[in-house]
Amino acid sequence: MRSKSPVIVITGAASGIGAATAALFSDRGWRTAGLDLRPSATDLSLTCDVTDAAAVRSAVDFVTEQFGGIAAAVTAAGYYEEGIDVCDITKAQWDSMLQVILGGTVNTCAAVLPVMIAGGQGSIIAISSELALGGSATDLHYVAAKGAVLGLIKSLAAEFAATPIRLNVVAPGPTDTPLLAPGSLWREPGYLATMPLGRLVKPEEVAATVYYLATEGVMYCGEVLSPNAGAVI
Amino acid sequence: MPADTRPRHVALVTGAAQGLGHATALRLAADGFAVAVNDISDDSRITKLADQINGLAVPGDIAEPDAVRVMTRAVAEQFGGVDVLVANAAAMEMGPFLNQDARTWWRQVEVNLSGHFRLIQAVVPHMRARGGGRIVLIASGWGVIGHPNATAYAASKAGLIALAKGLGRELAPQGILANAIAPSYIDTDQLGVDASDAGITLDEMRQRYRELIPTGQLASVEDIAGAVAFLAGPGGSAFVGQVLQPGGGVTRTRA
Repeated sequence: MRSKSPVIVITGAASGIGAATAALFSDRGWRTAGLDLRPSATDLSLTCDVTDAAAVRSAVDFVTEQFGGIAAAVTAAGYYEEGIDVCDITKAQWDSMLQVILGGTVNTCAAVLPVMIAGGQGSIIAISSELALGGSATDLHYVAAKGAVLGLIKSLAAEFAATPIRLNVVAPGPTDTPLLAPGSLWREPGYLATMPLGRLVKPEEVAATVYYLATEGVMYCGEVLSPNAGAVI
Repeated sequence: MPADTRPRHVALVTGAAQGLGHATALRLAADGFAVAVNDISDDSRITKLADQINGLAVPGDIAEPDAVRVMTRAVAEQFGGVDVLVANAAAMEMGPFLNQDARTWWRQVEVNLSGHFRLIQAVVPHMRARGGGRIVLIASGWGVIGHPNATAYAASKAGLIALAKGLGRELAPQGILANAIAPSYIDTDQLGVDASDAGITLDEMRQRYRELIPTGQLASVEDIAGAVAFLAGPGGSAFVGQVLQPGGGVTRTRA
């Protein structure tokens, strides 16, 4: 029975949204494969740098070998930097952010799409951010990278629309994960009070949105679902 | 989401005699909700549906203040309150904008946008009393991207989207989450009406609509009911003033 259950590949599965997603899908009987720089609590934990296209491809090949197919993929690998004036973002900071968030998503899509095409089904869900919808300050490289993910996924969704493969985006509001440092602007009571729900989003709420798209999202094609506690309406 | 919904939360679904409203009532009941079903027409369809799901039929015109009071009281007495409102009732009449008379225009705005005004006012105190709630407004993809010969319908549905955003901001601090769903082409009995209006067969109508959808698939009523169940269920707890668009990608034209 277990070997017939659907398979999900999750990048950034070791913590935060990726870890919550792995836990939820595992709880619902899916087989989970995690790609992360660190070990993840998944059925198949693979150490992998998502900026390395060849490494991602090998990892995905290994998942397919072990599990026989991939029904869903979630690209949650990323990191965050804030409090940097636009003029102070270095070339290295910019390049690294783009490589991890945009490049990591590209690499994952490129690796799993052939598997999904061969399997005749699939759902790819990219984790972006409400900052990509509403803009932000002092974290411009992160916002630009998350915004680029929207363009990437919308275009891929259009390209694969006539196939059974669906690609969509979940753009969470500020979420209570280790990505937000204890002193983060987004944790300040003054900021939280400006949000209609008055609180951070929980990683489990983002995972629930991913689960909905992966299991009942057949009519979504290049859409952006934003569980953001009212940060962007 | 599977049936891990909090025990016997109460949902009220309008326009439930057929199509999407009917499917939504079935889905919410399957997810564990106690469901009250409303339609303007007081016929066997909603009583039969209520029997089937062990729910409650509350027929009535939601534009009538007295009917709304009676209906809301009946739901509260039977089930102890209201946690979820699914505002689904709608009217549509197509025709060129310049030929449209004022009566046709206002009828659609009244039913689609103003129709739920008093009902929302009536259910919100019940939601407050229970510490929160969910309001799911069924808008339309045409309310997002517009459609020729459907200006009144599109305008009323766009108004509904703005209503979801405004209610979202106003009520979220009290734990009441308002959101909208903007479906596009759904395979319901309405397609038969569209087909006879266009003088073609139902299958030809389906094909004509499929060609407008990048994924080439019409939504089933169950697909859209699934979106309602998501927003009304445990997974929707961080959605405020959002618009879900399960329309197969119709917001852009095909290459």
